[in-house]
Amino acid sequence: MPPRRRSAKGKRAVPPGPGRGCASLDALPDEVLHHVLSFLPAQEAVRTCVLARRWRHLWRSASGLRISSGGENEAASMVELREFVDHLFLLRGGSPLDECHFSLLDIDDDDDDTRRINLWIRHVLMCRVGVLSLNISWHSGCWTTRFYLDDLPLVSGHLKRLELSRLHLNGSIVDFSSCPVLEVLEIKECDIFDLDRISSQSLKCLSIGGNCEFSHSHRIHVYAPNLVSLWLEVFYGRAPVLGRMPSLMEGVVKIDANDGDFCDNADSGNCEDEHCPCCYGIPGDTDCVLLHGLSEAQSLVLMSEIEMFIFRRDLKCCPTFTKLKTLSLDEYWCVPADFSALTCILEHSPVLEKLTLQLFCKGRKSKVQMEGSPDPTERSNEISEHLKVVEVKCEVVDDRVLNVLEFLNKLGICSYRFQF
Amino acid sequence: MASAGSGDEKAAAAAMITLISSDNEKFEVTEATATLSQTIRHMIEDGCTDGGVPLPNVTSKILARVIEYCKKHATAAAGEEGSSSSFSDAAFLEVDRAFLEELEEFDDAFLEVDRATLFDLILAANYLDIKGLLNLTCQKVADSVKGKTPEQIREMYNIVNDLTPEEEAEIRRETQWAFE
Repeated sequence: MPPRRRSAKGKRAVPPGPGRGCASLDALPDEVLHHVLSFLPAQEAVRTCVLARRWRHLWRSASGLRISSGGENEAASMVELREFVDHLFLLRGGSPLDECHFSLLDIDDDDDDTRRINLWIRHVLMCRVGVLSLNISWHSGCWTTRFYLDDLPLVSGHLKRLELSRLHLNGSIVDFSSCPVLEVLEIKECDIFDLDRISSQSLKCLSIGGNCEFSHSHRIHVYAPNLVSLWLEVFYGRAPVLGRMPSLMEGVVKIDANDGDFCDNADSGNCEDEHCPCCYGIPGDTDCVLLHGLSEAQSLVLMSEIEMFIFRRDLKCCPTFTKLKTLSLDEYWCVPADFSALTCILEHSPVLEKLTLQLFCKGRKSKVQMEGSPDPTERSNEISEHLKVVEVKCEVVDDRVLNVLEFLNKLGICSYRFQF
Repeated sequence: MASAGSGDEKAAAAAMITLISSDNEKFEVTEATATLSQTIRHMIEDGCTDGGVPLPNVTSKILARVIEYCKKHATAAAGEEGSSSSFSDAAFLEVDRAFLEELEEFDDAFLEVDRATLFDLILAANYLDIKGLLNLTCQKVADSVKGKTPEQIREMYNIVNDLTPEEEAEIRRETQWAFE
């Protein structure tokens, strides 16, 4: 190294203040370095073994692993990846892992590789992994397909958080009776149409979103009685049946436009054709699919494309939202023009404190915000006596929004403050 | 969500904890802020915080920064035992999203420190067992070495290579599977 460079390095190492040691990684204890290594791609973490004597074996005890393929400094092919991961797992042995992230995108659809990856997943569970994230997709022919996980339940007394992306999920994997401490489950961009039931006693946060495909011919039952937080986006297929969730703090449900819970001939899933697969195609379908399970939530966001019937059908057996304090709705709840859906849910929310209506501005930032409050003397009996704030958000105040304001006015909600 | 947590926050606001840095400076913080540190949480649970909590491993300069971090993040955690990290993903309301963005900006700005300070923050986060801060700071170090050669990493972080060329060659042979 040329001397000039050396002096530059020396200069940088000069302490900025009195008594300050130089900023050397050597000053950090092993446990911290194990943690630092857990944020590096696994290949790079292993390669630190040549830094100095102390570093030779640090990678073996890294508290996390990030195994990915296809990127810079990562295995380019599955053959290389197998060579690497097999060595890694055998040589690090059963050292406990806090986290393990697999990100294997567009790998070839190959039976051997699939078996191997499933074996790796089982191995990291045996390393008592607390956070497991699986983002795996196949590349077959000219398109990307979902990776098939083994049809076996996960067994772990340590797994707290599980993130599943781009996978095809089968029945056993979401039976979490053998994962007694699992608290967070995130399902993104997965095919879940083969699932009958997602069940966990311990789960606190559940998120199903990002273009997951639900079944068209049956409804998944979500049984998570200790859930605190739910994010559910029905991108394609039938809305799931939600079981009771007495501890639910916040729930967000979004129904996207698709031909699942949708019928051309009726807006509440009750057309006159008894053979209609949309309205009557699910044997033993329950009357109240979503709202019943959400009825003990403290905070709800309910959004749907207008043509989807599931919320309107649910409202026919609308439960009372005994704990609901904040409610956020979109324009779905303001059609038809008699505002029956909005009226119904307000009538069934006796302790509601704040209502937000986000109108005709899906996916965009609202430009206009109005905040109204009920006039105590004119407040309609239909609304909660605790209601303090009604927020209306929209892009422009057009006729449709004015209609809503007029309706709110009838309920005794006026005196708006505007924000642009 | 905010309204549900306010009861706990009020109760916690009443209880103040005094933290004492290695250079004997006293910092008064709410219990909600202090208990982001598992170490201090355990001390509070054991009832040994009367008269202040001495932190002989943390200077006042670093402690002030750590407290700044905890104050900001205490509102986000809002007393959710153990599941504070999970909530960040489950916060979907627009208000929460804005808050999360603000938190991210705060974290980015918080990390704008020289390496020596960064390492002191790591040591303090490790000693005080503040998971979020430890992750944040360790991630920063990891990001800075990502894609670097061993020589570059040694130079960057003043790591003295005490391996003989023979030893280094041997280690490379031993871990050839990771260098391909």
